[in-house]
Amino acid sequence: MIWKIAFRNLVKNGRRSVTTALAIGVGGLAALLLGGFVTSIWYGVQTSMIQDQGNLQIYRNGYLEFGAANPEDYTIPDWSAAIALIKADEALARDITVITPRIDLAGIAGNAATGNSKTFIGQGVVAADLDRMRQWDGWGIGQPGTPTGLPADPAADKVVVGLGMARMLGVCEALAVPDCKDAPDAGAGREADPAAAEYTDLVAGDAELAGLTEQGTGLPQLNLMAATTEGVPNIIRVEIAAARAQAVRALDNAFVMLPFDQARALVFDGSPEATAIMIQLTSPDRAEAVKTRIQGLLTDAGMDLSAYHFTEVDPTFTRIFGMFAFIFAVVSAVLALVIVFTIFNTVSMTVVERVKEIGTIRAMGFRRGFVGRLFLAESALTGLFGAALALAMGIGLSRMINAAGVQWTPPSNATPLTVQLMVLENPVFALSVALFLIVIAVAAAIWPTFRASRLNIVESLQRG
Amino acid sequence: MNQHTEPANFEDRNIPLDAPHPLAAQFEAITKEYTLDKVKVRALGGISGAIVQGATTFITGPSGSGKSTFLNILGLVDRPTSGALSLFGEDVTRLSDAAAADFRSRNIGFIFQSFNLIPVLSLRENVEFPLLRHRMSARARRDRAAAYLEAVGLGGMMDRRPGEISGGQRQRVAVARALATEPRLIVADEPTANLDSRTSREIVALLARMQAEFDTTVVICTHETQLIPPQSPVIEIIDGRLA
Repeated sequence: MIWKIAFRNLVKNGRRSVTTALAIGVGGLAALLLGGFVTSIWYGVQTSMIQDQGNLQIYRNGYLEFGAANPEDYTIPDWSAAIALIKADEALARDITVITPRIDLAGIAGNAATGNSKTFIGQGVVAADLDRMRQWDGWGIGQPGTPTGLPADPAADKVVVGLGMARMLGVCEALAVPDCKDAPDAGAGREADPAAAEYTDLVAGDAELAGLTEQGTGLPQLNLMAATTEGVPNIIRVEIAAARAQAVRALDNAFVMLPFDQARALVFDGSPEATAIMIQLTSPDRAEAVKTRIQGLLTDAGMDLSAYHFTEVDPTFTRIFGMFAFIFAVVSAVLALVIVFTIFNTVSMTVVERVKEIGTIRAMGFRRGFVGRLFLAESALTGLFGAALALAMGIGLSRMINAAGVQWTPPSNATPLTVQLMVLENPVFALSVALFLIVIAVAAAIWPTFRASRLNIVESLQRG
Repeated sequence: MNQHTEPANFEDRNIPLDAPHPLAAQFEAITKEYTLDKVKVRALGGISGAIVQGATTFITGPSGSGKSTFLNILGLVDRPTSGALSLFGEDVTRLSDAAAADFRSRNIGFIFQSFNLIPVLSLRENVEFPLLRHRMSARARRDRAAAYLEAVGLGGMMDRRPGEISGGQRQRVAVARALATEPRLIVADEPTANLDSRTSREIVALLARMQAEFDTTVVICTHETQLIPPQSPVIEIIDGRLA
């Protein structure tokens, strides 16, 4: 009977009920769309990172803390033995899709043709493995990664550089990179920089000494110089196959991705070392279990290595998601406040209009709690209608926005992504918002309802 | 209070005094004061007496005399400032809010001047409503509501809403609602004030018939003395005191 009265009163005060439900619905809609956007960031940024770095990474113990200052002391001594150990474990076979080594390096890159040189930050990767990793779309969000642009042969002498790096080396036009122009000759009219000229000559001389020859493929050439683990300068000559934008400008201006064997030849002089082993899993949900298993294998084998989740290696994801989660919380709190005031106002008006009814009900012998339940039921129903409205509008509008193909570039990405508001794709979140709307609708009605239940019966009966 | 105390001034108001009289209500030195715009108003100035069970008693008096205040105290929706009240032998003067509600739900039915039906419920649902406080199945509630609506002559319009029927019919529904819980006492505050004279007589006759049929005690507060049947017990209040 309580629900019947509540429902019929809502119908009776149709315009007010619709207005209140709309206020709840629109508030819920905003929360759903923002939440859907945050959800897409959660999946999108993680997908990007899993495509680039894998779910798990293995490093020599201490690398994350001290490796940056002294990388040669924190390399994985024999990456192939570690990979073989993991691959041999049957329990892990179903979980791992890609396991591949990586070499991180730094040095000086120079383009003899343009006379430009620059420090570089490099990654030596097995291109075929990384390209496979970049196809990962485990959550089905339709966010394919950009292919590396490197040849599949790990010994190939082709590299990919960042867009900024290409610009600085003056190879944009030679590579025909769209939206990338070589810097104007800033040195025109000035005296040549003797240090740069000296370096270019040095690299060219070293290259000659090393017996490196022109490739003759028409691609711009690059001389990469780095110190080996013994501290000896080493140099390789490669061709720039492509330029790819990187997410962070500082990295974009210095990035060089080169085939694993080339990197190995440059810094490890052919030894079986690597900086890290990247592991991509079938399902991110299995990351913790797989990490524990791998850690156990490494420890049992006496290897001085540790497995880390990518969020432990790179805090970017946690920070980005934390920022958006905070924005979502603040916006939700403001929306909740608006809804609370709307409901409060509506229930207060309803109470004023139905004072006589309250007095009658109390006179008939109903306790205060019954009166409270009567009005709370009405608010709960309003909240329910508002929540249903929010869900319907949220699903509809998110579909429309998703279909519109609006693009944006998330902080962790170099290339724009199509905005995907994941509302229906995250049913737990959508239902939580709906439930939250009902809860705050009821909570907002508590005070006016409490006051209604405490009304003096005689005074109530004398009203109206 | 002594249950067998003869109420003062009742002999000439047709109260059957041949002992023992089972009493529905006994009240002694009931006063009621309240503050209106910072001015203390004394609505009842010490009323004592009794109401006999199984009869229809009328409370009369001019407007503002305190009769409604007395009826509210009798119906346990208001408390006296001082004095004592017992209903059916139970001291109810200082019942808590919840206990008073429980007592009302079990023992008292109300009929109001402006009917006070719940507009969003059908006539049957209105009559059924107070039965929610009683341990009854939904079917039993519906059947009883239907029976009482039949009794007041509205069996054919149970599914109508209060807004779809006349004032007299609404008051009939209110009578059925008051009777539905089978209370020992029905208090009616100016039940005919919003009705024309013919309908008013019909309602008073209906109440008298229902009182007799269901053997309940009815107390009707009215200023329309012409409606009071001869031989009916009457309590007249003037300026907050028994006349």
